[in-house]
Amino acid sequence: MAEGQTLGELLTRHGISRRALLKYATYVASMMALPPAASTAMAEALAKARRQSVIWLSFQECTGCTESLTRSFNPTLENLIFNLISLDYHHTLQAASGTAAEAARLTAMKENAGKYLLVVDGSVSLAEDGAYSTIAGVTNLQMLKETAEGALAVISVGTCAAFGGIPHAKPNPTGAVPVSEVITDKPIINISGCPPIAEAMAGTLAYLIAFGKPPELDHLNRPKAFFGESIHDRCYRRPFYERGMFAKSFDDEGARQGWCLYELGCKGPVTYNACATLKWNGGVSFPIQSGHACLGCSEPNFWDKGGFYRPLSTAMGTSGAWIGGAALAGAAVGAASAAMLRARKKSSTGEK
Amino acid sequence: MTPEARSPAGSLRTGVVQAVLSEIALLLENLAATGQAGAIDLRSLPLTEADRAELEDHLGRGEVEARLAVAGASEVWETAYAGVWWIRHREAEGEIASETIAVTRVPEILMAHPADITAAAVRLQEILTPRRESAIGEETGNG
Amino acid sequence: MDLLDFARGPALQGALVLFAFGVLWRLASLLLLPRVKDLSKPRSGAPPALFAALREIVRRSWPQRPFPGATLFWTINSYIFHLGLAVVVFAFAPHILFIRSLLGLSWPSLPSNLINAVGVVTVASLLIALARRLTHPVLRLLSTADDYFAWIVTVLPVITGLAATSHLGARYETLLAVHILSVALLLAWLPYGKLMHPFFVFITRGFTGVYLSRRGAEL
Repeated sequence: MAEGQTLGELLTRHGISRRALLKYATYVASMMALPPAASTAMAEALAKARRQSVIWLSFQECTGCTESLTRSFNPTLENLIFNLISLDYHHTLQAASGTAAEAARLTAMKENAGKYLLVVDGSVSLAEDGAYSTIAGVTNLQMLKETAEGALAVISVGTCAAFGGIPHAKPNPTGAVPVSEVITDKPIINISGCPPIAEAMAGTLAYLIAFGKPPELDHLNRPKAFFGESIHDRCYRRPFYERGMFAKSFDDEGARQGWCLYELGCKGPVTYNACATLKWNGGVSFPIQSGHACLGCSEPNFWDKGGFYRPLSTAMGTSGAWIGGAALAGAAVGAASAAMLRARKKSSTGEK
Repeated sequence: MTPEARSPAGSLRTGVVQAVLSEIALLLENLAATGQAGAIDLRSLPLTEADRAELEDHLGRGEVEARLAVAGASEVWETAYAGVWWIRHREAEGEIASETIAVTRVPEILMAHPADITAAAVRLQEILTPRRESAIGEETGNG
Repeated sequence: MDLLDFARGPALQGALVLFAFGVLWRLASLLLLPRVKDLSKPRSGAPPALFAALREIVRRSWPQRPFPGATLFWTINSYIFHLGLAVVVFAFAPHILFIRSLLGLSWPSLPSNLINAVGVVTVASLLIALARRLTHPVLRLLSTADDYFAWIVTVLPVITGLAATSHLGARYETLLAVHILSVALLLAWLPYGKLMHPFFVFITRGFTGVYLSRRGAEL
């Protein structure tokens, strides 16, 4: 790749016309709820941008985020994102391995100092001085800190990197923490989800490359374009919720009729993601449409909310023992006060 | 499942089409008066399949239809109302990637981009020039 | 731990502990009181005790003559908010799920839109009751802090519940957390003030009925 080429020049050399870039920008702008006119601006901005160096660090993760991003339903349109970036380091996708791979990372960091994007998936392990998760003998913490130093911005992809995810769930034996707890001096964008929707990752990257700044973020640093609305607010089963028609068990009559899954533990009302609108695998379906309640996988601590199948209106972790004990104690106190009264009555009548 | 059948509640007409048509009318009037283009992103609207079909019915087809082969197929057609264009972008597997109603003289996607024109001019020159050079080379005994 | 986790977790747990302790304490301290045996002869034709108890519970559910005239509006208003609360609490699907998670019991629910309407009517009825308490000179004189606190603690869950289902005023997880916290407050306070009356009223009416059924002369 020639140094200093713009994306427009690069794409032209690869036979990808500006018309294709405009179609791609229209698609991304539409996905991110930008006004239709923004697609022209985005296409122009992308054409003028340089190919963005991206270093992708994978820590305590399951590779699901990479699978989601590359499991493109849309090879010509969606995979355009891979033409717009130079993925200089990625465990799963890169050809090199071992010391050659680490050397590639360090070279990319040096050549693009201050300008590369750092994408992280997986949580960072801190317990036992980071011994639970190392790459090439280097702990996650160390690698993250040294790679983040020269980065333009950090994108935490997946709930593990964004909020701690599965490793962070009770009892968190590896001392897993989200990226935001380690890196505090760089702009961080969280694209949560377990895994995140492919378009959320690709669209945010495209926006960053085109406009040089992150899209509008919510209070958890997630792009509002994808995480601004709850599943509940866009769920097609909402009319059933409003009318109180709930499936009581999997595969009962209500479930077959597509009724609301609130009673089966749906966390849709408190979960913010684009599943109900963008859906998965190119708009094929999403968990609720396939009959399973929302797990709340784009929210922090979704593993520790009392259980996937416990409805939102139930208590979390109530101890029957304590309540029973309290009842017994109450009865005992009541009995004691009645006994005291009896004794006082007896002694007073005895005195008469 | 057909590529279009995304919503399970597809057969329900919600009446949102009336609102969309009103907005298109407004944009079209504006275009006529000031020449300023406008657009409506159909993805941003809660359209069921029945709504989409109703909108297509109302807008109808005009005199121009274009088929694009760029990063997957796309269809652009002028509706029965001059200046109101329907742009449907599909990706490689046929799923609709984005859909827009553009109110403009001609949609930008149909126009050749200056950068593509420059690149094409260079390409055309490259095809023409070697023939001339080799002809000259033969005449002078080089080649 | 965010607010919703706290509300669904430690807050409800603490509230249920205080509720269980308080209800059992007050019930036990009432029911285990020494019973004064009535040694007099009941009047002839006196009904059996159980029948007398039940009859009195029913009889006192409506004001006796000549009181309906003066109290009709307030009797009806009270029934409206009591029945409204019962419908909202026991016939709304998410609430039935809450009870099922604690006691294992469940029953069919009513349409949620209907519950919403009942909730609005309940709040209106409660506001009317408060207005009366604040404007009626005798009631104002008699009212204590417990009366006002009981009103607040009762109306808050209904208002916050309506806000939550209408998604009004804040993000849903906040609205739901606030609603659950208000329920925790209600549960925690209930046995320690006049809100204990649901548990007492039938017992006291029954005892009064048994006592009075034995009295009187034969006609």
